[in-house]
Amino acid sequence: MSAVLPVLSETSRPFYDGCRQGRLLYQRCEDCDAIVFFPRKYCPGCLGENLAWQRSSGKGTIHSFTVTRMFAPTEFSRMTPYVLAVVKLEEGFKMMTNIIRTPIEELRCGLPVQVVFDPVGDELVLPRFELAKG
Amino acid sequence: MVKQLRGKSAIVGIGELPTGHFPDRSLTRSAVDVAVMAIRDSGLDKSEIDTVIPLGTIANGLDNTNFVCSYLVEELGLGISARANFQVMSGGSSSSNALKVASALVATGLSRGVLVVHSDRLGTGLDPQVAVDMFSKASVNQEYEIPYGWSQLGLGALIQQRYMFDSGASERQVAAVIESLRKWAALNPNAMIRSPRSAEEVLASEVISSPVRKRMMNVLADGAAAFVLTSAERAADATATPAYVLGMGSRCTNFSTTQQPDDLISAWRPAALDAYTMAGIGPGDVDVAQIYDAFPSFVLMTMEMLGLCEPGQAGAFVEAGHTSPGGKLPVTTNGGMLAQGHTGTGGGMAVLVEAARQVMGKAGERQVPNVDFAVETASGGVGMDLHVAVLGRELGQ
Repeated sequence: MSAVLPVLSETSRPFYDGCRQGRLLYQRCEDCDAIVFFPRKYCPGCLGENLAWQRSSGKGTIHSFTVTRMFAPTEFSRMTPYVLAVVKLEEGFKMMTNIIRTPIEELRCGLPVQVVFDPVGDELVLPRFELAKG
Repeated sequence: MVKQLRGKSAIVGIGELPTGHFPDRSLTRSAVDVAVMAIRDSGLDKSEIDTVIPLGTIANGLDNTNFVCSYLVEELGLGISARANFQVMSGGSSSSNALKVASALVATGLSRGVLVVHSDRLGTGLDPQVAVDMFSKASVNQEYEIPYGWSQLGLGALIQQRYMFDSGASERQVAAVIESLRKWAALNPNAMIRSPRSAEEVLASEVISSPVRKRMMNVLADGAAAFVLTSAERAADATATPAYVLGMGSRCTNFSTTQQPDDLISAWRPAALDAYTMAGIGPGDVDVAQIYDAFPSFVLMTMEMLGLCEPGQAGAFVEAGHTSPGGKLPVTTNGGMLAQGHTGTGGGMAVLVEAARQVMGKAGERQVPNVDFAVETASGGVGMDLHVAVLGRELGQ
């Protein structure tokens, strides 16, 4: 499910192409070593343009989450309740996502999660997360 | 260097209309009404107003454009004295940025008197669904955050969730903020929601986006407010009750939710330190705090970042009644956006005007005794842009 698709740009298209191939990508600046996420053209650390794609382990923890039950954006209103979350990846960056396949009552900040590549429509795969197994 | 700007300017006049739902009240006429109130209150002759700063209006784009195009200059007959009319717009912190700009203009001698005006009709001037959609999309990252059902409400919920996890604040303590604000609103004739509400009633309301409950959300409203600012020197002659601008500090950290610092709105700390340092005071000197309240949890976080409470202690402090009328540290004495009403960019304007009002001693039934120093905060977006100001009754130092 997703009612609103992301804007695809010269920097976000490679990211979503990576998701389609089962790879969660981020960037590392070859000039100043900064970890960069979201993918961008210019490094926010040094404004350099030598940003190299890296593959994330897809493992992280729940930084925060909310179970949206009402007053969702119109396009999402038929999908409630859904879990909107910020996940912090092992590599040190945070991303917006949904937690899926997880009983709502089990959710806590700090719990380990892993990425799930979730197809939405024919073209797009979104990185969502579920509780880490084991 | 910034220290040299301490006490160079003062708010000398304020004006405000009741906040609420007024389908027959004109947006532009309300702007003129509050501007006239502020000018009359200031002790300045209107010919001393040479700069007009309308803040951003959301409900009606045409009205906003007309403010940009000097509508107020003409209505107020400032066409001979005015040197400039321009908009300041940074969402909820527009008033804080306007205060900064106006103070600098006056301190450098580029302006003699500055009029800052806000008017909007978020209560009756917008279709409710349009309003919900606007606030669910304003400031969302469209490449990486939009496909997951992000909204400003969801963002407030994410921040509250993490704050409660980090600080141990209870849901009841967050709800107690509403109880305190409602007590203040009951004393404010310009507030929209003046009935009492207990923390228990807040906790009994349904969960909208956990942990935010229905009664933790603010209500969109129509409102208008204005202030007049001049040099400290002129202020001393013009009025017996100047509110001197003693300190200002701010930080602007990010656009996207996930780019916030890990500890959320921690940039309040350096912003507050800058404001306190410029003013030459510390948090212990604050007599009243006017805190921008997009969500009740933000009040708790901000109190801690401002050093008004120890980290993790704001919830217990509010729950004990210390921020309520008669408490040892009155907080947001107009009732804030959660009780006076959310007028868009006017949310920050209302707490700034209230800070000046308390320093001036014009707060009527809710006047806090002997206010030497008031601290005021505002934020644009949700937590990306953080402003702190200190107003004072005397120049001191």
